[in-house]
Amino acid sequence: MNWVPYGSKGLLYRFAVKVGDEAFAKGCAIAAELQRNPPPGLIEFVPAFTTVLVRFQEEEQAAATRADLLQRFERIGNVAPPPGKLTEIPVVYSGVDLERVAESHQLTTREVIEIHSATIYKVYMLGFSPGFPYLGDLDARLHTSRLASPRTRVPAGSVAIGGEHTGIYSVEGPGGWNIIGHTSVKLFDPAKQGAEMFLLRQGDCVRFVPAIE
Amino acid sequence: MELCRIEAVALRMSLQDRGRAGWGRYGVPPSGSMDDHAAEWANRLLDNPPKAPVLEILGPGARLRFLRDTWIAVAGAKGKWPAWRATQMHANEVFDMREIEAGLWSYVAVKDGFDCGVWLDSASVYPRAGFGELLRAGDVLSRKPMSDLALPAGVSARVAPWTEQRDYSKPPALRVWHGPQWDLFSEEQRQRFFAQAWTVSPQSDRVGYRLSGEALAHQTGELLSEPVIPGTIQVPDNGQPIVTMRDGPTVGGYAKLGVLDERDISWLAQVQPGRQVRFVLADEA
Repeated sequence: MNWVPYGSKGLLYRFAVKVGDEAFAKGCAIAAELQRNPPPGLIEFVPAFTTVLVRFQEEEQAAATRADLLQRFERIGNVAPPPGKLTEIPVVYSGVDLERVAESHQLTTREVIEIHSATIYKVYMLGFSPGFPYLGDLDARLHTSRLASPRTRVPAGSVAIGGEHTGIYSVEGPGGWNIIGHTSVKLFDPAKQGAEMFLLRQGDCVRFVPAIE
Repeated sequence: MELCRIEAVALRMSLQDRGRAGWGRYGVPPSGSMDDHAAEWANRLLDNPPKAPVLEILGPGARLRFLRDTWIAVAGAKGKWPAWRATQMHANEVFDMREIEAGLWSYVAVKDGFDCGVWLDSASVYPRAGFGELLRAGDVLSRKPMSDLALPAGVSARVAPWTEQRDYSKPPALRVWHGPQWDLFSEEQRQRFFAQAWTVSPQSDRVGYRLSGEALAHQTGELLSEPVIPGTIQVPDNGQPIVTMRDGPTVGGYAKLGVLDERDISWLAQVQPGRQVRFVLADEA
């Protein structure tokens, strides 16, 4: 079964077993489908790496529309990755954890920077905090476990590695990822209106451009 | 129109409404009143629309000085002040909220709601995103300027029915639905969850309520982060469940045993740290 109930008014649909191009393309296609043809009573949908949560106002709506919705998801099949908007983000690679990350992989800091900035990343989802992008796929040579005990204060704009992903702290707050750099680009701006508050969205692409301070 | 001044703050004071549902895919939690049942009654007692912002107060210690005559309605925690009813305040009168006997969160509504900022269609303050700030001593709250000063008819007799005035010292067993990783917990572990009384940890806040008790084991290994909503019950490796609350993250990587029924989040919110709560499977409740 590729779906499970999520509370009384929601369902979680699993569209892939692992992250990668296929999961990304399918996640984007499902989000597009939900936006084009929202089922009756839809409150919201929240896409993640391999799953999407669909929430309804009422229990009856969730039950009534489920079969049709799952069929629509199944029909999406294997689609080509969409041409996601590419955003270039300048990064000063001087994060407090950069040297430790390099040492743990027997790399020089320069190699870490080269590897990290060579990939065009996919925004699998936003989460954790407003506008925080979970980016993949991170080169396996840079996979680094999260800190055993998270920092209480990580500045906004910190570019970091958490396990198999990389991301950018969108607001100041606690965090357990390894900080390798910093960008002055604002990922989240509460002074703007509606969806314009968020620089990135699911389905976008990101390229990091090494910059000097 | 200036309405009241905060002379003393409680543990946490902020304006909240029913929250900003629908922004989860941008990483924005819904926020909103921790005890939506009490907040709704505070508004209802004044004929306010259900979405009118209310003042949310955590714990005892708040003191509000009113700057003009007005009607307010207070609901939520039980203390030495009139609650679950409309109360008339006169200019220069003080509403003092000392000593709580039961519950944690109180809600103060004013006729037509407070005049305040709005972010993504909601007045709910969420400082982490820059959506407003917590209130401090000396802050002055205003009422919507267009408000009609006339009192709503019959408001003086307004008291919430006693069946709606909750006794937070005696929460019912809270209803839980299956979560995405329900099947990764053995029958024995699930029974352990429902059979014991869980103690609410002092490390609980608007983000999440931590429960402590006999640890739960599961065989999930490393999980990819999946969506989380208020009420999601996650079980980290230490086996002590965390219930996501209104300001909680929108995704989480721990095993999700269940989802608290949205009607019962208000009950859990009011359980004081150190006190206990039980759960029951929703379809058996």
